[in-house]
This record gives sequence, C-alpha cells and structure tokens, in this order.
Amino acid sequence: MSQSNSNDQESLKESSCCETDKGRRLVVASTIGVSAACAIFPFAAGVTSILDPVKKNSGSVAEVPWTKVTPVVNLPDNGKPAKFEIILSKVKDAWTTYKNVPAGAVYLSRKGEEVTAYSLKCPHLGCAVDYRSKTNDYFCPCHNSTFGIDGSVTDKNSPSPRGLDTMDTKIENEYVWIKFQQFRPNIAEKIPLS
Amino acid sequence: MNKFLDWLDDRSGIRSIVKEALYEKVPGGARWRYVWGSCLTFAFFTQVVTGTLLWMSYSPSAQTAWESVYFIQYQMWGGWFLRGVHHYMAQAMIVLLVLHLMQVMIDGAYRAPRELNFWFGIALMGVTLALSLTGYLLPWDQKGYWATAVATNLIAEVPLIGPVLQKIVVGGVEYGHQTITRFFALHAGILPATLIGLVVVHIYLFRKHGIHVKEPRPKRDSYFWPDQILKDGVACLAVLLAVVFLTLFFKGAPLGPPADPSNEFPARPEWYFLFLFQLLKYVPAFWGAVIIPIVLGLLILIQPFIGSSTKGHQFNVGFWWCLLAGSAGLTFLAFSEDRENVNHIAAVEEAEWQANRVIQIAQEDGIPPTGAVTLLREDRENRGRRIFASQCSSCHRYNGHDGRGYLVSDEQSAPELAGFASVNWTTKLLNYDHYVSSEYFGGTAFKDGTMAKKVLKKYDDEEKKLLPDVARLLSDLAELPYQEQLSEDEKESLLDIYYDDLACIDCHDIDSEGEGSAPDLTGYGSRKWMIDFINNPEHERFYGKKNDRMPAYGRDKKLSEEEIEIVVDWIRSKPGEF
Repeated sequence: MSQSNSNDQESLKESSCCETDKGRRLVVASTIGVSAACAIFPFAAGVTSILDPVKKNSGSVAEVPWTKVTPVVNLPDNGKPAKFEIILSKVKDAWTTYKNVPAGAVYLSRKGEEVTAYSLKCPHLGCAVDYRSKTNDYFCPCHNSTFGIDGSVTDKNSPSPRGLDTMDTKIENEYVWIKFQQFRPNIAEKIPLS
Repeated sequence: MNKFLDWLDDRSGIRSIVKEALYEKVPGGARWRYVWGSCLTFAFFTQVVTGTLLWMSYSPSAQTAWESVYFIQYQMWGGWFLRGVHHYMAQAMIVLLVLHLMQVMIDGAYRAPRELNFWFGIALMGVTLALSLTGYLLPWDQKGYWATAVATNLIAEVPLIGPVLQKIVVGGVEYGHQTITRFFALHAGILPATLIGLVVVHIYLFRKHGIHVKEPRPKRDSYFWPDQILKDGVACLAVLLAVVFLTLFFKGAPLGPPADPSNEFPARPEWYFLFLFQLLKYVPAFWGAVIIPIVLGLLILIQPFIGSSTKGHQFNVGFWWCLLAGSAGLTFLAFSEDRENVNHIAAVEEAEWQANRVIQIAQEDGIPPTGAVTLLREDRENRGRRIFASQCSSCHRYNGHDGRGYLVSDEQSAPELAGFASVNWTTKLLNYDHYVSSEYFGGTAFKDGTMAKKVLKKYDDEEKKLLPDVARLLSDLAELPYQEQLSEDEKESLLDIYYDDLACIDCHDIDSEGEGSAPDLTGYGSRKWMIDFINNPEHERFYGKKNDRMPAYGRDKKLSEEEIEIVVDWIRSKPGEF
C-alpha cells in the first residue's frame, strides 16, 4: 500500500512541472504547513477547555469563610480529640452547587478555651487518618504515617513530609467555628489548595 | 458465492490480504509459548466490546456514576455479568501482559532486530495499566474515590509541572464531576485509541520480523493458519472460561458504597498495584512515583542492547525475575499487613455494611436526583450506629464493639447496650455476677451501690428464681419492636412479684406517684423513657445526683433532639447477640 502511494507521488512530481527548485520547495513547505495546520487544528481547539481547571483555580485565594462545627460542650477540655464532619453551606462542583453538604472532616482537640483543628487528610497522600486512643496518637491506615497528639511527625520512618495540617478555629456563642481548608499533599510546606 | 468473492477480490484485493494474514510461516511449528499475544488481543477486544456496552448505560457525573453502575449491577438484565466480565478481563489482561513479557524476555525476542517492537510492547503495558487505573474510579464508589485520590496525588510528584498536571487530570482542585468526565474520556477514548494505534504498529512489526523461534525447533515449519490459530484459540478459550468462572464465583464485580469525602475509607488499589502501594510505606513518594519508575523504565528501554551478549541477556532475564519476585513480595506484605490489622478488617466490613445498606434502600425506595450518597447520609440506621460510635462507644459497647464493628481501645466503663431492655438483657442485668461485671455496671460507681451490694447480692435462691420474671415484666414495659407483648393476665401476675414478693417498688417506681430513691421504671426501656434518660440522666426520675459520668446529651446540647431519637430507635431496633 505505502509503496504504491509513493509511486503515485513520484509520478505526480514528474507530471506537475516545476519551474525552479525554489518554487518546488515552497510548494512542499506549504503543503506540509497546510496539512499540519489541519491536523493540529482540532487539538488546538480543545486546549483551552483542557486547561480550564488550571485557569479557574489559580490566582488569589478567596477569603475562607467561618463554618460552624459543633457546640463546645462536645469537646472534652482535656485535649482528647474527637472527629467532626464539616458541613459547608455552599460547595461548587462544576455545574452543581451543593447547599449544606459534608465536605470533609476534622479532629478537634480542646484545652480550655483553645481549640485545635487537625485535617483528617493525611499530608502524605490524602488518606483519612485515625486517632488511636490507646497510644494517644494519629495513624494513617494507608502508608503507616504516624503523628503525635499535637499533630507533629514523631517517627523518623513516617512517610509524611509534614505534620497534620491545622486550621484556624474560634469559639463563639458556645460553638466551635473553623476556617475549613485542604492543603497540598506530600510537600514539607503547608500550602492551601487553590 | 464464488462469483461474489471474485467480484469483491477484484475491487479490494481481499484474497491476498487474507492469505497474507493467515499464511504467516511459523518456523519450528505451532507452539503454546506463542499464544500470549493473541490472548492479549482477544482480552482487549473483549474490553472494547463489553466496555462499549457498559457505556450504553453508564452516566459520568458525581450524582449519576455510582447510580448508573448500581443500575447496571442490580437492575439491568444480565448487567452484573457484563460488568463482571469487563472487571475480571481487565485483571486477566495484567496477568497475560506479564506472561507475554516474560515469554519475550526468556526467548530473547526483544533483541535486534526487534528493539522497536519491544519498546512498543512496553508502551502498550503502560497504556494498559493506565486503563486499569482510570477504570477503577468510574463507579465512583468509596474504594475508587479514595484509591484514586492517592494515585492523583502522586501525579503532583512530577517535577515542575506536577501540580498543574494533577489539576488537569482531576479537573480542578477537588474531586467531582470533572474528575469523572475526564477519567472517562481517558478510559473510553484517549487510552483505547492510543492502544489500538500502538497495537497496529506492534503487530505490523511482529509480522515484519516474523516469529522469534526458540531453539531447538520441535517440529517442521508450519503456518499460522490453522496450526497456531488453533492453539491461540484454545488459550483464548481458557482465558474466557477463567474470566467467566471468576464472574460467576464472585457474582460480578464488587460495588462499594458511593463516594463520600466526609466518610473515610482505607484506600487500597487493585491487587496489581499493591506492590507500589506497599513501596510507598518505605520510600518517599517522589522516589516511588518518579525516580524508581524512571530508572527502571530507562533500564528496560536499553535492555535490547544489553541483551546483545549472552551475559547481557542473562542479566535481563534475571532482572525481570527479580522485579517480579520483588513485586510479589511487596504484594504479599501488603496483604498480610492488612490481614493482621483488626482496624482495617473492621473498616472493610463497615464499607461492606454501607454498600449493602445503600443498595437495600435503593432497591426499596429508589435513588433521588441528589444521588445515592444522600441515601446513606440520611438513613436513620446508618446515622444511629454512627452517633453511637462517636458519642456512646467510648464508655458503652454494642455487641462488644463501637456500633459499627470497630473494636474500641478504651476500657469498657458502662453497660453493653445491644438488645437493651430486652428479656435477655434485663435477665442478665438482674444477675449479681453480671451486674458487677464490666459488661454492665462493673466500670461504674453502681458496682458498689445499693442495688448491687444490698439487693442483688443478698437474694436467696428462692428469690433469685423470681428475677427472670421481673426481667420479663420490665422488658415488657420497653415495648421493643422485636418482642411480643405480655398478656394482661401475665402482666398482673408479674406485677405481684414486683410489688410484693421482691418489693422492688420500695425504691423503683412503676406507674406510681411516690418518689423512689432509685430510677423510676415507668415505661422502662421504652422510646420515651430512653429519650428522656439520654436527654438528662441527672433528672430526679433517673439517677439524680447519683449519676456517674453519663452526660446529659439533650440538656447540654451535645446531641440534637433528632439525633437522640435516631440513636434510641437504632438501639431499640434489634436484639443483641447473646
């Protein structure tokens, strides 16, 4: 098949008479250029839509709103952590906007008036960590990352590059509030996802 | 017929094409060791056909992906079989890939002049693995969701463009609609198209150089048709039977509970990626996902050149055996670690429970447009056990666990509540040995209270015989949905024991005005009694000042009214496992 094609081309070349080499080169270059443009065009038309998620989410991080989590009384003030779902009033996912949906969960630990929130997502690769009351620490059931009760990496062999991610909290009207965020996994720095 | 074929051949040259395809020479005769390529082609063909048929019913979005797969699995005529074949054939493909690769390595068929074809083969392996990875997410169940979360986080490890690349693949920052649509486009469009392109060149190159014959040649030369094709066909049939067997044995492919970012799941990839999963426990992700694959990949690419000497060839074959053995070892470690991990086992069982539950509700009530995930979130039974686990289980137990099947590491310090107020439960309660055991009040101050020390312990044998009757009376007050109510006459006679023989009434009121020194048992264990009790156990009707650590969930707003009702209904819904 390919052989007969090139034969055809040969005969074409001969039959279409060319004045100069330069002129022929121009014809060849134009042919390649036009064909390439036609071939690339459909892909080029889709580039922006493929890159849309990159464009949408870059730029400045919008102010993270405060979200109500739980009455303070649900937290023992001895620092023992408890897990809470975070119900966000508005979550956008492409063409759907959800109202009041659980968007994730956190561990809250209270000492007096101070509440610390630890993200449930392991900073290693994003599995959900468990609090282990027996050893009073956090453990990721995927790749065995361990974290101290203060969220720090305590074991040298723990694969996580940083401690558990904390988020801003406050106590207002006897409720715990949180600025719920997710962070980029598996880097030493804690950078909010955006 | 012949006339038609002549006509067709004249216009298309079909005869020479077919002849060229079928009468390929097989030096040394047809052999079983050459079947793997054909098996892979057959497997891929099956995937294209079954995949396209699944596509006819699959709907990629966060509210419809799981739901449409559920429909295929549980509502569509034979849908479970179709999906099962697609699922297990994908796994068979991985096994066949390894067999094909090892045959090529051992026979030395990767060496000159077949280097280029070897590289195409390696590329095909990569595309096949990518197909598996992208297919895994499409049902949008917990397993796919959390495992893919890990996999896409690994993309971010690619230097410089990693985070941007991750966003492009995931379709944003969070997983959602766009993740599914993009993965689906990859899985059903881009990757299969790439695979077909690569396979065409792979087979063309294979034909160009012919079969690489493993010496010594066992027989005389023969042709592809029919000798080798018969062997290939038999091997394909064996693959088919294995896949059908797996599909029937496991009743199709599994479908976990719908994806829920607020409901954790112990992410595990499919078994053929477990070695990589296990590796990530030991090495940083950058090594596991970038450096090691690149180094191994480069080494594999130059293997045709390494293999030009006999020593080099031996090295290559040894290298692949080591790679296989290493992967098998890591896979074994991953399996055995999980098998010994009680928490992991409980998490898998919990996910199974959720899957069964949501499927049951979907079958009974149907799925609303908001998706199946809301069925579970709103399900009172699911909420009941979760409230119990988070609020009650650090002191109480439910059949010895936390309500969902997880073992609790804290010491049990309050009564077992599975089958609370049932005849069995109450009979045991009134037995002194049980009363002071950790299963009941052994972990509380009541262990040394009046009821234990001055009442139950002091009963003589005659009185002890009456206690099961009191238990029947009390349990009747609970009006539990799974127990039959006593007749009026029976109740009367039991009340006699309560009032006169054992004089329980001296401390515990039932339907009376006076204020006993111990909890009021009017309507004991009934829905209202339990709600009031959990609302405030320190109320005078109940423990009053004698309350030992039981929080006043309603009074202190630790639980909403609705939540208390849900957990009460849940506890009352089933007998305990005595």
